[in-house]
Amino acid sequence: MKAKLFISCVIEHATGVLLLAVLLTMSSSPIIALGQASDDKHATFFMGRVRYSANDGNDCSGVGQDLMKLVSRASTLKIQEERKVRLTDPDLYETPFLFMNGHNDFVLTEAELANLRIYFSHGGFFFASGCCTNPNFPRAWRREFNRIFTNEKVKPIPYDHLIYRSFYNIDHVRCLNEPRDIQLEGLFYQGNLVAVMCEDGLCCAFSANNTCNDGKGVSPEDGQKLTLNIAVYALTH
Amino acid sequence: MTAVITFEFPLGWLAAIPLAGALALSFWQHRKAGLQKSEIVRLILLRGTAFLLLAFLAARPVWITKEPRSSAARSIALLLDRSESMALEESDTSRFKRAVDFLRERLLPAFKSANLTIQAMLFDKNVEAADGAKLTSTEPKGERTNLGGAIAQAIGSSSQPPLAVIALTDGAANESADNTRALTALSEAGVPFIGVGFGSDQGVRTISLRTVDAPPAVPTKTAFSISAQLEIMNADDLPAFDLALFRDGQVIQKKSVAPGKGSHMWLESFQVTEEKQGEHNYTVQLFPPNLLNLKCVNALANTTVRIADEKELRVLYVQGALTWDYKFIGMALRNDPTIKLTGLTRTSKQAIFRQNVETAGELLNGFPNSIEELASFRVIVLSNLRPTDLTSAQQDVLARFCSELGGGILMIGGPATFDSSWQGSRLEQLLPVVFSAATGVQGLDRPFHLQLTDDALQHPVFQIADNRPARDVWSQLPTFTQYGRVDAAKPGAQTWAVHQTDDGPTGRRILMASQHYGAGLSAVLTIQNFWRWRMAKDSEPLQFDRFWRQLFRFLSEVGRQEVAIHLLDQELHPEMDVQVSLEKQPSPKNITDTSRKFFVRAEDSQKNVLHEETVELEQLHPVDFKFHAGKPGVYTVAVCDSLKVPVSTRAIEIRNLNMEFQDTARNMETLRQWASVSDGLAVKVEDCRDAADLVRAIMSKVETQRQNRQHRRPLGTNVVTFVLVVGCLGGEWLLRKRWGLV
Repeated sequence: MKAKLFISCVIEHATGVLLLAVLLTMSSSPIIALGQASDDKHATFFMGRVRYSANDGNDCSGVGQDLMKLVSRASTLKIQEERKVRLTDPDLYETPFLFMNGHNDFVLTEAELANLRIYFSHGGFFFASGCCTNPNFPRAWRREFNRIFTNEKVKPIPYDHLIYRSFYNIDHVRCLNEPRDIQLEGLFYQGNLVAVMCEDGLCCAFSANNTCNDGKGVSPEDGQKLTLNIAVYALTH
Repeated sequence: MTAVITFEFPLGWLAAIPLAGALALSFWQHRKAGLQKSEIVRLILLRGTAFLLLAFLAARPVWITKEPRSSAARSIALLLDRSESMALEESDTSRFKRAVDFLRERLLPAFKSANLTIQAMLFDKNVEAADGAKLTSTEPKGERTNLGGAIAQAIGSSSQPPLAVIALTDGAANESADNTRALTALSEAGVPFIGVGFGSDQGVRTISLRTVDAPPAVPTKTAFSISAQLEIMNADDLPAFDLALFRDGQVIQKKSVAPGKGSHMWLESFQVTEEKQGEHNYTVQLFPPNLLNLKCVNALANTTVRIADEKELRVLYVQGALTWDYKFIGMALRNDPTIKLTGLTRTSKQAIFRQNVETAGELLNGFPNSIEELASFRVIVLSNLRPTDLTSAQQDVLARFCSELGGGILMIGGPATFDSSWQGSRLEQLLPVVFSAATGVQGLDRPFHLQLTDDALQHPVFQIADNRPARDVWSQLPTFTQYGRVDAAKPGAQTWAVHQTDDGPTGRRILMASQHYGAGLSAVLTIQNFWRWRMAKDSEPLQFDRFWRQLFRFLSEVGRQEVAIHLLDQELHPEMDVQVSLEKQPSPKNITDTSRKFFVRAEDSQKNVLHEETVELEQLHPVDFKFHAGKPGVYTVAVCDSLKVPVSTRAIEIRNLNMEFQDTARNMETLRQWASVSDGLAVKVEDCRDAADLVRAIMSKVETQRQNRQHRRPLGTNVVTFVLVVGCLGGEWLLRKRWGLV
């Protein structure tokens, strides 16, 4: 009994120290699984992991949870477990933040596009990430998201946009494998950014310490900062 | 006149027993002393008389007189309503004609048979005596109904009060200034009021333009709504009619309105955008359809809007953690250039996140500890906070922000933060609800619907859709799942929304409420995830956005002006002295400002000065003045500071409202109340099948009143009794002295 108490005490203190260290330095430590994800019904932040086409929302498993835990660093809010949601589910309209990732090409149905149209016009936010710098997913994402609004097309988000300053001040993020800056892309609705996509394996960077995308895309430090900025932007704009 | 003596304390007669004993003892002593019988009798008689009087007084005698049966000198006062509502036609005849026929053909013969005389009077807002010819020739077109005044006049017009006051009326009284006088007269004279109600309980078809609302100040090149509140009553199928918007007397928009069926109230809006700064008078005119028996209560209403690029309204949103509500409320305000949302969020125990601050140093150290730092904000939202997130000093600053600076405070919470932990805190004192002591309640996450109260449905904040009743719009909100339980609204608070099914100690659980606190306003929203409304698939985000903009404007406007201009009269109409009260509010710019000299001016719509004076104003000491409003129109009261800079203005619209058609249904309740306070009678005319029965019932009431009417006068407590007692005892003493007994 005493041993159990001792262990829980050590874990509790270690958690606090590590959280503080991560927040202050944003070190490259892979140990970021220190969040508060739970099934608490009072939790105010929850994320919908999108199931689409043949993708069951399991690419890079754990990435959704890691995103949730990352958000918990920026807030004292309680975090709920991720929800798997299809774009045709009624639950879509109870999930103000959607996350989608994958490796492959996909096509959205007309019903899914119609629902996304309403979802965005009602204030929903969509974050997408291509896995492992595979070009098929971002290409499909651009194509399909260009179909949502007739007058709005996916376009690069310049570095003077608020999303790069919503939590951390990010001047630029260098690509690890090419001599260029990482470029977030977004879809706007009535001047408001409603969907963001990064083609450079952002999810691999903030979740898997880039081990699946080694030497390519975004560094884990930059990936965590960029992802946190996207989440905070979604919560505040 | 019959009279009787009663004793309020009959046991007082028991005092006679020891007194009789004392008399017997003195008789025995006198016999023993050898007095003659005649001498003893004289002494005992004198002393006994005095003792008897004392015992009589100890029993507290009262002289009660009752009035005699009705004498020929007293008549019955009959009041016939000649106000315009009596001209309304139902079943092809007007209420007035029906009342005259009832009087002439049934009531008068019945009174004649009972040998009772009638004193007839016609009344509207005035009263005048009328003979038979005048009764039949009168046209019912009085602008007001002052039933109280008529009753008082009927009782006080002659030296002898009438046996009863009978009113033939529809009961739709709309003047109450003389009600107290009438109540006193009825009570003192002991006269029963008999009300006979004419007309239908449903009323006739009416259409009315009730009010016109617009924001008091709008920036240039910004669209705003001018909303006209319309009402139709008892109209099954009205054709479309026109509504026109005038700006400074020129028509700028016109629309055709389909009113729908049944009795209801709804809003029609005009969208307006102004390019230049200035002040404009907007008038909405209703053109009612030309239909038989459709009465128009009011067709014209005005409002004034100041177009100025004034400083934006700042809202400070303080959060214990980032929440979705903040995002969605921010979205609601995004397209309104006059409202700026500033966020202050706790991200860890030691860290805060600021958004939309105006300077690098603003709110740098978290929530302010001084009131000066809050002075640039007009509304503060507290969301997802626990009491420990604010120190007592910070809570005190919040209370002062609301009570002294006239700011608005909105507290948003849910089951995790809205609980008994707030009990006894400084912040709880200013909120409109009492927190529930129970914690850990299960089931607060079950879906529920929000239900608006009648107060909220009439409130401008909740008018979120044009051309649709507020009740319909709000009933279509999605379900919510998280709410904090509060026990009750505080006295003086206004409940806006309640839970659909959850009952608390004083009724349905409150979800939204507000109350005045000092110069400001506080409100609560106990739903955690109100954002679900905007996200819901079938919702209209613009309605959500409009609600929040209107709520923040409402919360910010309360103490906004440096000098508050209040109207003391509830009802305004032409040819009246408008009573105005001025009260200095704390200045958010400089809370230590002590200047007290102000200039006040009242003008009519042609800028003619009606009143002008210099006043000394200080907080909590209002100063009253009045001006005469002769004609309908928009009057303006403006207050300037000592440098002649305007600090407050208020437009006051005086309308020629047709009060007689505002509520056309027969109001038996009014008649019942008058009857109830005078032990009288209120009957519908259709229930008076036999006038003789009615007269009998009236006379029965008169007799009951007579029986109950007694004059009580204490008996014996006067100089005569005193002299008699002293005389008897003094005479007895003199005799005893003469006979050598003392």
